[in-house]
Amino acid sequence: MCNKSYCCPSVKTISKRIIYINFHNFSLNTMLSDKKIVVKKQAYLINDEIADKIRQKMKKKNKLFFNIMGSIGAGKTLLLENLAERLSKFYKIFVINGDVATTIDADRIAKHGVATVQINTGGGCHLSAKLIQNELDKINVDEFDIFFAENVGNLICPAAWDIGAQLNVVVVSITEGEYVIKKHPIIFKNGQIAIINKCDLDGLGFDSETLVEDATKIKSNMKIICTSAKTGQGIDEFIEALGIKIPKEV
Amino acid sequence: MHEYSLASAIVDQVKEIAIQNNAKKVKKITITASPYEMVIPELLQDAYKIITDEIVTFKGSKLELSILPAKISCLECEYKGEPDKEGDQEFAFNFKCPKCGSRDTHLDMQYLTIQSVDLEILEEFTTEV
Repeated sequence: MCNKSYCCPSVKTISKRIIYINFHNFSLNTMLSDKKIVVKKQAYLINDEIADKIRQKMKKKNKLFFNIMGSIGAGKTLLLENLAERLSKFYKIFVINGDVATTIDADRIAKHGVATVQINTGGGCHLSAKLIQNELDKINVDEFDIFFAENVGNLICPAAWDIGAQLNVVVVSITEGEYVIKKHPIIFKNGQIAIINKCDLDGLGFDSETLVEDATKIKSNMKIICTSAKTGQGIDEFIEALGIKIPKEV
Repeated sequence: MHEYSLASAIVDQVKEIAIQNNAKKVKKITITASPYEMVIPELLQDAYKIITDEIVTFKGSKLELSILPAKISCLECEYKGEPDKEGDQEFAFNFKCPKCGSRDTHLDMQYLTIQSVDLEILEEFTTEV
């Protein structure tokens, strides 16, 4: 045997989990052990922390941020076009559009003189706080007053993902059938404003009454507004419900 | 199908825990959910497997999901806790408050929780011979 400390190692495997490597005058041991870590943290924690940061930042900077959710074809984009048209005279607006593919929505809204960005989720069925944060990081938030996110057309998944908005708006149209609210209660439970859209078709084989009644039963303090993004019906009331003041034109 | 995003969120959080604890392997993650969390357990398991098969530390690990009773907050009498057993035929989530009988209740959705993580830790120590 030599006299150097770090030579002549001999490896002794006790079991799969314990290995002794013996050197001249000391032994380096590695041992695999099981450990249970008590976590007790919400699964959505990382998303919710980012969402809270966005909300606090917007509040601190005195900005408004709304999450517009609803199914495909409910009229979210046309409603936003209406809002953009009316609000862009007084406020700087930034709209984030979420879709699986294409920039159709962002392009449509951009025609009304507001800044837009399209997020393509690929296959994702909802926006998340991280996706919003990524877009906000690319712009100077101070340059804008009001932010809208048009979520991916879906009445299920967006309900579970907080994106940091101050208010959640759920849009349904009367052409989606009279059971649409009953079938998707969670998203309405999590919303503060329910927009019943396409009310210009009321009485023409479609009915807004059942949807208004259901929205009231799902959540008593829900603000419910019947709109028609096509005719402009209810848009002023919608703007008021969002807490946006339109200065009187002189 | 937001189960994939949910599985990713769980894995992201546990990855951090594994790094902090110098873990060689994640063996089991235990999560709890309410019955109305909009999670289909089979889809969550499938998504978890797809994600973790690509990660050496997680490969072969188990995701154990147990369902806890629903919790509500009553908007009329401020009761918080389990709802009355009687359901609502018309509105699936309008649970009845056992205290005042109101159906103006809010379902507590915020407790899809990672309870614990079982890790295999590599410990190194030296002893003098």
